[in-house]
Amino acid sequence: MAAVPVPEPADGWYLYGIVAAGAAPPDGAGVDPGHGVVALAEGPVAGLVSRVSLQEFDEAALPERLADAVWLEEKIRAHERVLDSALAAGPVVPCRFCTVYRDDHELRRFLADRGDVLASALRRLEGRVELGVKAFAAAVPKGEAAGAESGRAYLEARRREQQEREELARTRAELVRDLHRRLLAAADDGVLLDLQSRELSGRGAEMVFNGSYLVTDAARFKQALADAAPDGFDVELTGPWPPYNFVPEELGRP
Amino acid sequence: MSNDSLQYQVTLLDLVDRVLGKGVVLSGDITLSVADVDLVYVGLRVLLSSVATLEELDSGAASA
Repeated sequence: MAAVPVPEPADGWYLYGIVAAGAAPPDGAGVDPGHGVVALAEGPVAGLVSRVSLQEFDEAALPERLADAVWLEEKIRAHERVLDSALAAGPVVPCRFCTVYRDDHELRRFLADRGDVLASALRRLEGRVELGVKAFAAAVPKGEAAGAESGRAYLEARRREQQEREELARTRAELVRDLHRRLLAAADDGVLLDLQSRELSGRGAEMVFNGSYLVTDAARFKQALADAAPDGFDVELTGPWPPYNFVPEELGRP
Repeated sequence: MSNDSLQYQVTLLDLVDRVLGKGVVLSGDITLSVADVDLVYVGLRVLLSSVATLEELDSGAASA
């Protein structure tokens, strides 16, 4: 087994994700620019880790750090960069941001205890990537009721608008079901995620679809997306992502 | 506002939704609890939505 640098007592281990034992760790710095990423092997799996100062990542210091948007973005992007590089070399089970162990004891125990689950997850993820699909609809035009002249015209316009809204909701629900079904047919797994509101996405267009898929044959998936993409909607493909949405359920969010 | 910065926001949002919202979630002897990270996640989404709203207002003012 490769020698792992012994951390200073004031250092912890930042865990990015889990790869197969023997996989080379990605080049480049981790969330702490002064420390590179190493693979800490335990049985069939290895944790991709880098040293971080517990002064910076201690629970006492973290609340202040976490309120610092610049610090956060830099660390989130560093986290993703490490996992993207790992993904380019082979399967990886990604960990959530800021998983920091005080010492390697607990980390090794996690790897040893969950080695079987992690190893089988890595086998399942071999040769597969996560691709995200989002679809946006143009903003719904403002209703005509507001401009109606008589009370009766107003009520009729309101009723028409209500019917149009219901029909639109039905059409979109069908669109989501149909698109998801057709994308699943070209993928190994898939999930529908929460829609991002206009306030969140900062777009004028309304998000109507947000899915993520575990894909072996990216070309086939893209073709399926091109075939299934509904008219009148902007469709976006993102990724490949480390398979955040496809970690084993027992290790996912409680 | 340029389209680049819009795309950038969308990307950061997608990133935040995955890096903080998903992945392997561990408990035990780690420095941040699950609840701590949940709070950061919620806070970041609020922050991103206010940034996005500001940019929308900006672009509205620019095109007016």
